[in-house]
Amino acid sequence: MSSRDSIIQSLSEDLQPVANSVAVDSKAMLWFVLTAFYVVLVTQWLAPIRADAFNQLVTVPRFFIESLLGLMAIVMLTLAAFRAAVPGRLTTRFAISGLALLALWLGNYVYGLIDPTLEPSMAGKREQCWLQTATMTLPPIIAAVLLTRRLYPLSPLRTVFLFSLAAGMIPALYMQIACMYIPEHILGHHILPGLVVGVLGCALSLFYRR
Amino acid sequence: MVSAQTGNEKQYRQLLDELSDVIHRYLISRFGYHDFLEDCVQDTLIAIHNARHTYDGSRLFRPWLFAIVRHKSIDALRKRKSEQAKVTHRGLEDLETNGYAIDTCSSQEWDTSITQGRLINALAPPFRQAIVLTKLIGFSNAEAAKHLRISETALKVRVHRGIAKLKRLIEAEEA
Repeated sequence: MSSRDSIIQSLSEDLQPVANSVAVDSKAMLWFVLTAFYVVLVTQWLAPIRADAFNQLVTVPRFFIESLLGLMAIVMLTLAAFRAAVPGRLTTRFAISGLALLALWLGNYVYGLIDPTLEPSMAGKREQCWLQTATMTLPPIIAAVLLTRRLYPLSPLRTVFLFSLAAGMIPALYMQIACMYIPEHILGHHILPGLVVGVLGCALSLFYRR
Repeated sequence: MVSAQTGNEKQYRQLLDELSDVIHRYLISRFGYHDFLEDCVQDTLIAIHNARHTYDGSRLFRPWLFAIVRHKSIDALRKRKSEQAKVTHRGLEDLETNGYAIDTCSSQEWDTSITQGRLINALAPPFRQAIVLTKLIGFSNAEAAKHLRISETALKVRVHRGIAKLKRLIEAEEA
C-alpha cells in the first residue's frame, strides 16, 4: 500500500461525524451587533455622549452619510474577517471592497481637516477617549477569536488582523457621536488607537489551533 | 463531503481517492513533476480532513477545496529546504552538459520537468532562477548565490519574492 493510500485509509477509518460549524455570516453579524451594543453601553457608562450628536445625525446629511459610510465599512470588515476563517469563503474582491470602503471613510476625516463635516467644537470632550477606544476593543477581539478558533483560517494572521481592525473601528465610529468633533482629534484620538489595536491584535493569531 | 460530515466512511474514502488524483494533476500542471508534490498531496488531504467541518454543503465545493490546495502548495514550497530535494543533484557541470541552461533555467534536451509547471514559467527570470535552483533542484543558498553571482542575501530576497509572486499567481486563479 502506498503512503498516499495509507493516509487515505487512516483518515477514513473510524470517521466521526462533525457538526457543520459554518454560517459564518450569521456569526459575523451576531458578533457585530453584540460588540456595538457593548461599545455603546460602556461608552454611556463612562461618560455622557455629546449632547447634540443625534440631532446632528438628523439635521446634517453629510454627518449622517459619513457615519453610515463608517458603519458599512465596519460591517464589511466584520464579514470579511469571519469569512477569512473558512477556506475559500473570502474572495479577494470582497476583502478589497471592505478595505476600500474603510479607506474612503477614513479619507473623509483627512478631507475634513480642510472642510470639516461639522463645525469643530470641544463640546462633548471626553477625558482619555483614546484609552477608552483602545481598551474597549480587546474583549471583542478575544470573543472573535474564540468564536472562530474551531474553524480553519488558512491565514490566521489575516483573519485576526481583520477582526482587530473591525473591533478597533467600532468604538472609533461611536466616538464621533460620543466625543467632540474636531477632525484632528478624531484622527489622532479615535481612529489611530483603533488602528494600532488592529495591528497589535494580530498577536492573538497564535491561538488558532493547527 | 456532506456525506462524510455525517460519518460515511466508504464515501469519504472514495472522495479522498478521487481528490488525491485531482490535486496531484493540479499541482503537476502548475509546478511540474517534482518529488515534493506527493508530500504536498498528502498534507493537503490531511488539511481537508481537519477542515471538513467548515465546508458548507449549500456552497460550491471547488472554491473550498482549491483554497486549501493552493495554500498547502505554497506552504510546501516555502518550507522546502535544499537538503530535502530528491531530484538528483548532479552538480552544475553535469546539468549543463545535459543541456540544462542554468542561466535561463530552461531545459532543451534534459529532463524538462523542472520548468514544465506553468506557474514557475510565469515568473520573471531572476525569481524563476532562484526558486528553481534552491527549491526544485536543491542547491543550497550558498551554491545558488555563487552560480548566479549574487549575494546570499540577494538570493534569499529573490526566493522570498518569487514565492510571494507564485502565491499571487495561484490566488489569481480563484477568480
